Amino acid sequence: MRNIGVGPSLAILAALSFSPVLLAQTAAHPEAKKAQTAVHAPDLTGVWANITENAASFNPKEDPSFQPWAAAKWKANKNDDPGQPSITNGRVDLDPTVASCFPTGMPRLMTEVFPFEIVQLRDRVLILFEKDYAVSHVWTDGRKLPEDPDSTYMGQSVGRWDGDTLVVDTVGLKDITWLDRMGHPHSDALHVTGRFRRLNHDRLQIDWTFDDPKAFTKPWTGRTIYRYHPDWTLEEFISCEDRLLHGGESLEQKAVKGHSQ
Amino acid sequence: MKIKRLAVFLGAIGFLLICGPVLAHHGRSNYDVTDTATIKGVVTQFDWVNPHALIYLDVATDDGKTEKWIAETNSPNTLSRQGWSKTTVKVGDQITLVGHRVKGGGTYINFSKISWPDGRVLTPAIQN
Repeated sequence: MRNIGVGPSLAILAALSFSPVLLAQTAAHPEAKKAQTAVHAPDLTGVWANITENAASFNPKEDPSFQPWAAAKWKANKNDDPGQPSITNGRVDLDPTVASCFPTGMPRLMTEVFPFEIVQLRDRVLILFEKDYAVSHVWTDGRKLPEDPDSTYMGQSVGRWDGDTLVVDTVGLKDITWLDRMGHPHSDALHVTGRFRRLNHDRLQIDWTFDDPKAFTKPWTGRTIYRYHPDWTLEEFISCEDRLLHGGESLEQKAVKGHSQ
Repeated sequence: MKIKRLAVFLGAIGFLLICGPVLAHHGRSNYDVTDTATIKGVVTQFDWVNPHALIYLDVATDDGKTEKWIAETNSPNTLSRQGWSKTTVKVGDQITLVGHRVKGGGTYINFSKISWPDGRVLTPAIQN
């Protein structure tokens, strides 16, 4: 008798574990019908940290093919310091975030060393970033991407479930940011598609497509991998606190110039 | 002796592995990564600030003078996950730091290892 009860118990457990997701799928905005085709949205909730091998970039399968202006910018941004490993941050003095304290923005935040947390709500998925304490709102209520969006650092994002994969499209991004830590440039026409898939309990894989006719001659793709950290909570990371405290220049910058002490 | 040599070797490998991540946030171009520097001094201030926690210390030079040094390491968020807090380093602590000095001879170091006379050793690194 004892064995007979195991199957139904597991089924109930499974149903309970999926129930918030089912609710999220059925109680969404009326316009959401098309976006809610997936019955069992996987749980991506939790804190994730970037463990991509070439983590400063989106690990492109092949080098992006640039428009001339973007090629020149990439050549300038790329870090050719012989003391650096080949895959690393772009030039510090040209980095809009490090050198000038601009917000990191999307999609670069996905290449940073600090973790992010995914929260799944009824009508959207939130990506909370430790860096800059930034938030990406990925609307899953069926709304469309705006046709002529204002440019912002985080952009406008919509998401839909494609089987076990959350497909996130983002547009409306400011061209002042770098696309990644390596310094790949982009324009305000950048359209980012990220396919979020939980490979197993501990790994999240995102396949990326970057379409930006103003900056690239053709779309290019990449892949990043993240590790699940169930025991982590997001702390706070503010890039420029040091220079705000020290008159606009970090102590490191002053030391390099040789007049800090 | 062989065991000791092995330990030193493994320690060196571990340190090399740590060097990169510590400098991962803002790149390494400001630092002389071709050389590893070791400095000893007395803590005069510990700032628990972003993007790098900063230790201010007085370092006695061979000619009897005192140099004012600043030592940076990881950010409070990453240090917190490794058990650090704003009280991990205290004013008056005698510490030894190992890391990379800024280029140009400035008294500023990015460290990846800190030790105290009682044998306590911490190796801050970004964990992912």
